[in-house]
Amino acid sequence: MLSASVLLTIAVSLLSVVSLLFLAQGARGTDWMTLWMDETWRDSLGITLYVVLASTCMSLLIGTWLARTVSFRQWPFVSRVLRLPMFVPHIAAAYLFLILFSGQSGGGWFDANEPHYVTVILTYVWKEVPFVFLMMGVTYEQVNQGYRDMARTLQLSPVQQFRHAELPFLIKPLLDTFWILTAFISFAYEVPSLLGVTYPKLLGVLAYDRLSTGLYLESSEPYAVALVWTVFVTGGVVVSYMATHRLRRRIERGVRR
Amino acid sequence: MIRQFFIVCLVLFPFIGLFRASPDFQASSQETMLQTIGLIFVLALVNVWLAFTLAWWLMWTESRLKPWVEWLVFLPLFIPLLASLFGMYLVFAEVGLIGSRIGVGLALLMATLPYSIRLAYNGMYVIGRPMLEQSLGLPPFKRILYVLIPLFSGSIRTIILFTTVILLSQFALVQLIGAGLVSTVTTDFYQTYAGNDRSRALTNTWMLILLPLILYIGLGGLSTWFVRRLKGRLS
Repeated sequence: MLSASVLLTIAVSLLSVVSLLFLAQGARGTDWMTLWMDETWRDSLGITLYVVLASTCMSLLIGTWLARTVSFRQWPFVSRVLRLPMFVPHIAAAYLFLILFSGQSGGGWFDANEPHYVTVILTYVWKEVPFVFLMMGVTYEQVNQGYRDMARTLQLSPVQQFRHAELPFLIKPLLDTFWILTAFISFAYEVPSLLGVTYPKLLGVLAYDRLSTGLYLESSEPYAVALVWTVFVTGGVVVSYMATHRLRRRIERGVRR
Repeated sequence: MIRQFFIVCLVLFPFIGLFRASPDFQASSQETMLQTIGLIFVLALVNVWLAFTLAWWLMWTESRLKPWVEWLVFLPLFIPLLASLFGMYLVFAEVGLIGSRIGVGLALLMATLPYSIRLAYNGMYVIGRPMLEQSLGLPPFKRILYVLIPLFSGSIRTIILFTTVILLSQFALVQLIGAGLVSTVTTDFYQTYAGNDRSRALTNTWMLILLPLILYIGLGGLSTWFVRRLKGRLS
């Protein structure tokens, strides 16, 4: 029974890899030069990188700071409230921000659908901060308080205390969370299609629109873009994990040389 | 105190939008709602079962394949969902699963299972091998009922919450794999979000938020009742 369930789980996970092989097959016949020269795709790539970096970095910074503060100061009520956005599906969160910033309610600073994608970034930050908080909160619960006490005894500055007694333990969860958020936000449809603009669209929206619109049904371009973006993200994952491999192993063994 | 108040206000601020118009709960289709609840139920059950059996296997196995299996099951977390969905669309088109409920369910399982495995795996490592080793002497059914369910009720609740929220967030997945023939509340609601009927859109937003919340609170109550009954039987 156990082996059958394990095999089934592995089969479902393998489906993900198989789907990438089919994606590569679907991308065959793409004129890569024409794709790269296409201004629509290039503008889309630029705005996607900006939205992904802004949303992910802000979520990581705010979420980590909150996990640290809530853990050290023992704020159980804040901890409970912070989990509330996790109950809201992304599409509903996008609509909450749409009505918050549409018309006069935006405070006159920006409108819901504007080309700088501020509301998209805000929606993602609001939705992803609790996820980062959850991931980092577990780490802060497990970190040995003795390291911080020692750093304080040695009279290190608060920044140095964080650098030596906390940051080494945060590297792995930070990397994990960074890439999970990047993969999730970078090629999504629901939030940017509701809160975005018609030009430039985010990569996921443009690719999905082209795939599902009759005009482009025979085109291999959406598959090619999806494939390139997947290779880019997984390449980033592999490189960043290889670059930090020795450091992470040393921390896992609890030995600092 | 002021800092706590400020953080709480920032988190709650976007919910103000919910009270801008009065929701009309007659507007949604009951059939689609029942279909979605059924999908949530099946998907949550499969997720919990598969995630915990794999986490259990990873905890005890001495197999040399362990690092490869770990790598394989966590890899989908780092692959953009919509991108792998494009590939899956081609796979499912080959085997005739486009436009079917099985196809949509399988695609949703692929989207949710990596998160569930991660949560189950973390939960098991927090409890640790020494504690779980004591349950190995029990037969499987008693081990699940008396040890694993009470110990991991928190993780099970979180997995069900994640599965529900991810399922309710998917418009593109259901639309692409379901080819318009399979619908969930999200695909129905999306039309109102893109339109101008604010009252209907707000009602739908309420529904999308209340569904996971009620499920989470209900599961919490069920878990407390179950542990109390168990304590009564054991004492």
